[in-house]
Amino acid sequence: MTNEPKSIDLLRFENVTAGYGKRPIVTGVSFSIARGEFLGIVGPNGSGKTTLLRTLLGILHPKEGRIEFPSTHPDVPVMGYVPQRDTIDLLLPFTTAEVVMMGRYRRIGLGRRAQQKDMQAIDCALEQVGMESFSGKQFRDLSGGQKQRTLIARALASEPEILILDEPTNGMDIASRQTLLELIQSLHASGALTVVMVSHLLGDVANCAQRIALIDGGHFTVGASAEILNETNLSQIYGTPIAVTILNGKTIISAGGPNARH
Amino acid sequence: MHATEIITTIFDLFPFALGGSIIAAILCSHIGVYVVSKRIVFFGAALTQIAVAGIAFAHLPFVGLNPAIGSALFTTLAAILLSQILRNPRIPRDAVLGVSFVVAIALRILMIQKSPAAEASEIETLSKGDILFVTSEQFLLLAGAFIVVMAIFIFFRKEFLFVSYDPETAQTQGFNSRWWELFFFVTAGIAISVATRIVGDVFVLGFLTIPPVAAIAAAKRVRHIFGIALLLSLLPPIIGMYGAFALDLPAGPTMVAAAFLLLVLGWGGRRLRSAFASEN
Repeated sequence: MTNEPKSIDLLRFENVTAGYGKRPIVTGVSFSIARGEFLGIVGPNGSGKTTLLRTLLGILHPKEGRIEFPSTHPDVPVMGYVPQRDTIDLLLPFTTAEVVMMGRYRRIGLGRRAQQKDMQAIDCALEQVGMESFSGKQFRDLSGGQKQRTLIARALASEPEILILDEPTNGMDIASRQTLLELIQSLHASGALTVVMVSHLLGDVANCAQRIALIDGGHFTVGASAEILNETNLSQIYGTPIAVTILNGKTIISAGGPNARH
Repeated sequence: MHATEIITTIFDLFPFALGGSIIAAILCSHIGVYVVSKRIVFFGAALTQIAVAGIAFAHLPFVGLNPAIGSALFTTLAAILLSQILRNPRIPRDAVLGVSFVVAIALRILMIQKSPAAEASEIETLSKGDILFVTSEQFLLLAGAFIVVMAIFIFFRKEFLFVSYDPETAQTQGFNSRWWELFFFVTAGIAISVATRIVGDVFVLGFLTIPPVAAIAAAKRVRHIFGIALLLSLLPPIIGMYGAFALDLPAGPTMVAAAFLLLVLGWGGRRLRSAFASEN
């Protein structure tokens, strides 16, 4: 018997086909995510980003191929999921702390009540996202950016190995968007947290992620940001001229091509 | 009849009717908090009709089942079926519930039509809400269902709330949303079936919706919703029973009317209070 070192790959997709019912949406997906990595998933609307995300989260089963978790085998790593905030029903008056507490439910156990350590965990998660002074406020009364921070705190409260964010900056003003992206980057940098972020906002992903996965027409490509998010690739996929500019170290992606800037 | 005479008569002659209606009201309003917050009120409406159809089915000459079993069988099957169909994102939830409601009513009419005259009239009486003649056996069955269902809902409160509030994230946290939804639908279905058999469909649907709607509107915290719904289910059966005697009305609908009256009074009171507050 050999003592093989544990792989640093947190998860590995091997030739996965994902979809609904009998309909495949994305096919032949093969990639791996290393521990501590930041992967961005981009693609036009309807390209299958959410389908792939739901498969990664275990909500959908792969139609073909397999998903492995080499570093935690046979267990699935704890995933902290941050859904789009408009998918949350606001009818019930949950407080911010109660929403974050939901992230502890798995650790608390079936039919059990929260303990002191769970209370400390939610205080800590709220502090990490700068929402500690909002713990008693109703979630439905928070602004879009505050709601998103609360949902990130809920994911952090589950003590995840991988943080998965679905369109986290959707519908936010420019200042809230920037603050949120900085928060996500600092969480990734400080805690060796593996992050997967899905977004249709190419600039957001280009400036945060170490690697980019691009989905288009059911096909899937993974690589470094510069390799994937170049003008030729993007113009072809989106069917319109797209300009990629580097300004003060930031990638700016705009529709209209180089001529549109003049 | 004087007020004291009415009260004495109710307590002396109809203790099971009064106790049963209070228990049924608390049970229905607790389940109703989930039904209203999941936006599936038609689920409650459809299941009450399916429960009555099940009772009518049990009375059919060639079936000869115990009506409680017929009702429980129909509602459990319907709850399982609905929990699966409602997960299909391609079919609107309200459309599924609307179809099931109207089919349940049609089924109920057809079953009653084919039932022997005596049983058909008993079922119609149940639908009208003449709940005065609740027997001790029926009361015990209802009390048993109350204890079991409430224990389940209190023990698994956080799981039911999480799956209702954000099923997708709950799924990623290891809670199998499909099974929790099925568990909820079947447990609620059994409670609705037992309560409908004893206090009637109008009563059950009334208490599945009116106290929860009032409680959700009034509460500032989720944990308060259940407490307010409980308080709002205690008074209407007593007021309704008194009103039914005093005015010679069917008890079930009078209790529902009393619950609605409380809802209107509460809403009016809040409006007045906020009007005075803004003037000062």
